[in-house]
Amino acid sequence: MGRFVLRRTTQAVVVLFGVSLIVFALVQLVPGDPVRVSLGTRFDPETYAALRERSGLDRPLLQQYLSYVGGALTGDLGVSFRTGQPVTTTLTDRLPATLSLAGCSLLVALLVAVPLGIVSALRSGSLSDHVATVVSQVGVSIPDFWMAILLILLFSGVFGVLPPSGYEPLLEDPVGWASHMVLPAVTVGVVSGAILTRFIRAAVLEQLGQDHVRTARARGIKESLVLRRHVLRNALIPVITVTGVQLASLLGGVIVVEVIFAWPGLGRLTLDAVNARDYPVLQGAVMLFAALFLLVNLLVDLLYAAVDPRIRYAK
Amino acid sequence: MRLRTLALSVTTALVLAACGGGGDPVDVGGGEGGGGGEGGTLVAAISGEPDQLDPQSTSAYASFQVLENVFDTLVEPGDDLQFEPALAEEWETSDDGLTWTFTLRDGVTWHDGSPFTAEDVVYSYNRIIDEELANSYRFESVEEVTAPDEQTVEIRVSRPTPNLLANIGAFKGTAIVQQANVEDGSIGQNPIGTGAFRFDSYSPGDSLRLTRNDDYWGGDVALDGVDFRFVSEPTVALTNLQGGQVHWTDNLPPQQAEQLMGGDDPTVEAVASNDYWYFAANQARPPFDDPRVRRALAFGIDREEITEAATFGLAAVNQTAIPEGSAFHFDYAPYERDVEQARSLLQEAGVSDLAIDFMVTNEYPETVTAAQVIQSQLQEIGVTVNIRTLDFAAWLDEQGQGNFDVFMLGWLGNIDPDDFYYAQHRTDASFNFQGYSNPDVDAALDEARSETDEDARRDLYEQAVTQIVDDASYVYLYNPQVVQGWSQDVEGYQVRADRAIRFRDVSLTS
Repeated sequence: MGRFVLRRTTQAVVVLFGVSLIVFALVQLVPGDPVRVSLGTRFDPETYAALRERSGLDRPLLQQYLSYVGGALTGDLGVSFRTGQPVTTTLTDRLPATLSLAGCSLLVALLVAVPLGIVSALRSGSLSDHVATVVSQVGVSIPDFWMAILLILLFSGVFGVLPPSGYEPLLEDPVGWASHMVLPAVTVGVVSGAILTRFIRAAVLEQLGQDHVRTARARGIKESLVLRRHVLRNALIPVITVTGVQLASLLGGVIVVEVIFAWPGLGRLTLDAVNARDYPVLQGAVMLFAALFLLVNLLVDLLYAAVDPRIRYAK
Repeated sequence: MRLRTLALSVTTALVLAACGGGGDPVDVGGGEGGGGGEGGTLVAAISGEPDQLDPQSTSAYASFQVLENVFDTLVEPGDDLQFEPALAEEWETSDDGLTWTFTLRDGVTWHDGSPFTAEDVVYSYNRIIDEELANSYRFESVEEVTAPDEQTVEIRVSRPTPNLLANIGAFKGTAIVQQANVEDGSIGQNPIGTGAFRFDSYSPGDSLRLTRNDDYWGGDVALDGVDFRFVSEPTVALTNLQGGQVHWTDNLPPQQAEQLMGGDDPTVEAVASNDYWYFAANQARPPFDDPRVRRALAFGIDREEITEAATFGLAAVNQTAIPEGSAFHFDYAPYERDVEQARSLLQEAGVSDLAIDFMVTNEYPETVTAAQVIQSQLQEIGVTVNIRTLDFAAWLDEQGQGNFDVFMLGWLGNIDPDDFYYAQHRTDASFNFQGYSNPDVDAALDEARSETDEDARRDLYEQAVTQIVDDASYVYLYNPQVVQGWSQDVEGYQVRADRAIRFRDVSLTS
């Protein structure tokens, strides 16, 4: 187990190193110049040259990359072109908002998907199954920005029961945090819940058709026990995989929703960084997303072992 | 059956209460909260987030929306955009026009309590010049800034500079900053100014808070503070305004503005701005070096139609840059849509089957809409318009490298005619991306820069502008309105033509 974690961590470092190289190359390839953006239309050659020098952009690319990697190894991801602030603190400032949104969204997704998926698998072919299929189909198809605006207009505009946008830190104002969380979490959660519903339905259906389930039923075991012990437990493995992937994609997929709800998270930061061609922040944010993705995958792998005793990792 | 019922009811209950909140009171209308005193805290929703809070280094409008209330300039534009005393109480120009002497206001202090002196002004201007900050071009004619005594600042210029007041006071990019605040590196995050509000706190990605400066030189400020929130989606900003979560916003959906102006809560007002939108053809690329081709484009379009589509009617068409009602407005409108005229101009120039790469940016969606209208209009004169929509960073890059046939953009917040015309149309000037060059225009613009007699100066600009319009260096389209809205409990707010957001005279009634 310990060796497994160690091996995976080493792999993660290698992957992150590769990511850093790709990201660095990509941001350089994208047209656009951070100094031009910071000056806007009021372009003055002397100011331009002075700013380029100050931001270190006039150095050779290789030198820029090496100093970036050198800094990154010690936890220093450079300084934002746009704000002049260290990238590391910029990212850690924004992390809680994104993590809490992704977490709550996943919770909403599971609350939608688990009951809906199980019910429609158990009642496969029935009216409720069809309804669940249509609902999840619609959920998958609705663009999140449209749903966000719709929810805001409905719950803030018409009913006036929830604030339309903004964020309160959990520790300072739990009630405010919750009330601001509902709409964005539902927006993101419903879409990914729709995807999960279909996976859960398929996984449960597959288990229901297995020989051991038929045998268990033939032995006269109570149906609820069959479900719990033989069907759901086995169906969990693929569901965990998909949930992990969903969580990881939620972390990176909340950009649009964060922008609409004025949510002070990493997504909005990343978008601002793209628009300003703020390379250090952009690189840092992508690296952080990659790291979170790797971490979630590691946790998923470890969960397998907990759920299914047949899975054991190399000693 | 039991399982299904349970599952569905659990789902329903939990989704409704998703992540808490269900049943608990919700702080709708939380806008009023926060302020300790009776003045209240005004909550303002702005669309962007300040990049940094050093007024001399930033060029982001979001930063200036905030800093307008924190910093001061020596002089500032009044309601009619004429320059009025601010940190300087009075000023005079020497007979040769080469020395400006400013007498500073007495008893002004910085937000940290230290006294404001002439040395602060000298430091501020020299910093812009020496570090070649974004506004250094405004000090192009300035030779020396000195402080003969604590109350007096002298600016020596290399040529008479009738627009010096605009150069040093048009906006907070030339604000007076405190040397200690700059040198300890904290001005970007913790600015110390002399303005009506002091910086209080900043929550990245979310909001920025200012509190009242009780020692403000301009008199009592009613509000306890201002809370700027960054809400980029106009529909969401409007919902916040209507729901009482914010008191003020300038981020309203343009398609709803007209309807909102008809109602009384929120109050929505539109004021003609000094901004203008235009398109320009790349004169380094044939056939756009031929003025007849550019004139053909100017004759081929219908400005009314473009303006209506791009701004939902919230703009006034104009064939020059400076809007009607301004001191330097010049009524010159030689182009009326004329398909025949446009076609024959193209024929004279020997151009047929012209296809134009028309570059616009989704940063300003009105350029995309306008381009679509222009596309269909120019089709009638036999010109194909290929619209290329880029994000702003890529757009600026292409503009800088001259990779375009035509681009559309606007200039915002100019006050003096020199700001409107010089850098855009003078041969090789820094904003002359279209590559226009006309010796007559150069001569008139150069002379107008140092002409101190206002009438003579106006004549020179009329000469220059006539030529610029006839040569279609820019094809001017319209002057947009500034549209802002606020709730009924906001009193004393005024929409300004230069888009400066001033809250020092505002109070909250409830």
